[in-house]
Amino acid sequence: MARRSKASAAVPPAPPVATPLALPAELTIYTVGELHPQWLAWLVQDTAALPVEVPAEVKAAAVEQVDAAGLQLLLSLQRALAERGRRLQIQAPSQVLRGGCEALGLGAWLQTQMTEGALV
Amino acid sequence: MSQMTDADNSFIQEALPAFISEAQEQIESLEQLLLQLEDAPGDTELLNALFRCAHTVKGSAGIFGLDRVVAFTHHVETLLDKLREGQIDLTPALSTLLLQCNDQLRTLVAQARDANTADTPEAAAERAALVERLQAAAGHADDKGPAAGSAPATGPPPASPPAPAGSARCWHISVAFGTDTFRNGMDPLALMNYVRGLGSVANLVCDIAAVPPLDQLDPESCHLAFELGLDTDASRVEIEGAFSFVRDDCVLHVLEPGATPGPLGEILQATSGVCTLVVNAALNKQTKAKQRDAAPAHAATVAAGAAAAIGDDGRFIRVQADRLDSVINLLGELVIAGAGAALLARQTRQGALIEANAQISRLIEEIRNGTLQLRMVPIGETFSRFRRVVRDTAAELGKDVSFEIVGGETELDKSVVERIADPLMHLVRNALDHGLEQPAERVAHGKPGQGKLTLSACHESGSIVIRIQDDGRGINRERVLARAWERGLVEDGVTPPDEDILKLIFEAGFSTAEKVTNLSGRGVGMDVVRRNIEALRGTVMIYSDPGEGSRIEIRLPLTLAIIDGFLVGVGNSKFIFPLESVVEVIESRSSVSTPDARGRRVVELRGRVLPVLSVRTLYGLETIEPERISVVVIKSGSHSYGVMVDVLLGQHQTVIKPLGRMFRSLRGMSGSSILGSGEVALILDVNSLGEFAAGKQPAPGKTLDAANGGHKTLVRN
Repeated sequence: MARRSKASAAVPPAPPVATPLALPAELTIYTVGELHPQWLAWLVQDTAALPVEVPAEVKAAAVEQVDAAGLQLLLSLQRALAERGRRLQIQAPSQVLRGGCEALGLGAWLQTQMTEGALV
Repeated sequence: MSQMTDADNSFIQEALPAFISEAQEQIESLEQLLLQLEDAPGDTELLNALFRCAHTVKGSAGIFGLDRVVAFTHHVETLLDKLREGQIDLTPALSTLLLQCNDQLRTLVAQARDANTADTPEAAAERAALVERLQAAAGHADDKGPAAGSAPATGPPPASPPAPAGSARCWHISVAFGTDTFRNGMDPLALMNYVRGLGSVANLVCDIAAVPPLDQLDPESCHLAFELGLDTDASRVEIEGAFSFVRDDCVLHVLEPGATPGPLGEILQATSGVCTLVVNAALNKQTKAKQRDAAPAHAATVAAGAAAAIGDDGRFIRVQADRLDSVINLLGELVIAGAGAALLARQTRQGALIEANAQISRLIEEIRNGTLQLRMVPIGETFSRFRRVVRDTAAELGKDVSFEIVGGETELDKSVVERIADPLMHLVRNALDHGLEQPAERVAHGKPGQGKLTLSACHESGSIVIRIQDDGRGINRERVLARAWERGLVEDGVTPPDEDILKLIFEAGFSTAEKVTNLSGRGVGMDVVRRNIEALRGTVMIYSDPGEGSRIEIRLPLTLAIIDGFLVGVGNSKFIFPLESVVEVIESRSSVSTPDARGRRVVELRGRVLPVLSVRTLYGLETIEPERISVVVIKSGSHSYGVMVDVLLGQHQTVIKPLGRMFRSLRGMSGSSILGSGEVALILDVNSLGEFAAGKQPAPGKTLDAANGGHKTLVRN
């Protein structure tokens, strides 16, 4: 993997809050096609403005359906953020999302992505 | 089993025949695979297919509570498993043992048909003896195991003792899904849940290393891979079965319990399995390459065979033969009715109606072809059954024989295939027994010690030709003739032409074998063979060069039900020729030449003399011959002849109806058909007419020499 650290990101003018990304009810192969460009846009526009130390928030409470394709998209998002030296923070993952991660052996991964906002 | 309800019982009663027929097929493929394996020992694909077959039999026998089958198959399976894992090698002795076990299995399955068949003590003892030998063979593996440690790291560890069946064992599964997994509608998530159903999953790790960042991701491509431990008492086949839908585009490794050597154990604990994957992929490639190197020559044939055996699942629908037959019967009626409608339509002279009818006729023809196709089966299945016969017979006779099958994909009607199997079996045995010599004798005659027997099939002008060819000693004409004189088949001292001498071996009560073996030589075979073949509207010819070998040629119609016919009229009667035997039609005058005593004439066709028959004379039709006639040129076998008819009525889809008992003895007729108008047309048998035209058929009062002589006589007339 290409681990290019982008520590030299633009000095942030510190607007601390970017719009969190809200996960849809259906996070499956049927929706990944349309979600991908949206998330990409969010990644490029919204999170880029954030200071590096502020995690990119994803609201995950609404997820009602999930499959491997959906989870892979989430993984991919996390990886893209990681490449940009950022962290993903998944907030309040729904039972379905937790279950899906568990089933794919991503339980530990999900935990790591939640620790920051573990209060919820 | 004891708590079986009536519903269960009735289900089993209904499903049992299907199980039996399926099990028989599995047993058949087991045999084929075993035989193929003899040529390509160590072929992993074959071994896997072999194991699957045995496993399927065991599994489905279990459903039906056929405990004897299950218990016995279990032992076979155990041995096959060892073979597959490379712990033992397939020796000829082992192969024979497995073939014998397969026979035993076949008997057991046949017994399952009748639930009341008691297990006789002899049968049980025989089985026990086989089981003992199986266990001995399998047990031997454990001793030999460590020595066979040449297997690469992917191979199972040779030393691992098989855990007792039934206890949960921890397998290690490593799977990398192909990029198209999602697009093919597969969800690894659901699959993992399914795998959980097999047992308890420990250490499931998702390898996310291959997932690209969002900006490089095609969201519909799958980049996931997993490592997991699975505690289950399921077999390898069951575990691999979980991945059967993604098998084609995933890299799957299922490691035997206890197979995990040190490094893999560490990898299990690691959070990222990237190393394993890379290693596994590399090893996988290596193994494949190794297989390729090991058997380059066999690769193509074996792969084809194995692919056929493995890929068969789900591509076939089992249909009862009589249902198919009733459809074909109805179709026959439909063809007749269609022809009738077309005739009426033509009489109305309404263009639109005629056109509509023509359209219907075309569709009927397509349905006809399609439906008949359903009955077509490749003859290879029947052929390959002989592999075993040849193997065992040759061994019994102490002969070395290489058996070759050519054109196994040639298709013909199922009912023909079924009825040709027995005659073929006899001919094959005959060739082995009488045709091919002992190795020493062969070498003495300057031939290679290994005899060659070829069974081939091909399509030839609307019929199928099956040839059985050997390179043995050929047929001794003097001995045949002497025997024929002795048996009174030919008048003493009369020497018929060479080709007729050979035909004598098809006469009833003829056998030249000096030593009667239990294989052939009872002299009841060849005439039965000929009768069976003739009952199928086929012919059998024999060719032989002394010292060089002999060739038997069987010519059979493709189907027994419907033919494309060529309809002709003579006087008020209608006759049909099989269209494929019609070469051309020439115009002629009835006065061109004078008929001989049997109503035969000759015409000149492109500088060659063509014998011509008159249907009118042959069947004594009392109508006046028109001045202008047509001569239909027919090709039968290697020669041609003409048949004089009054009018040509064109192509006709002919549904063959057998002739009534009264007409069985009628020469030159093979059947009848009902025309659209309701009239009956007789179907001419081109082969027997051809023999008549060539002068081969005995005619009262006049002796013709032979084929060629007959022509000359005619010309002189």
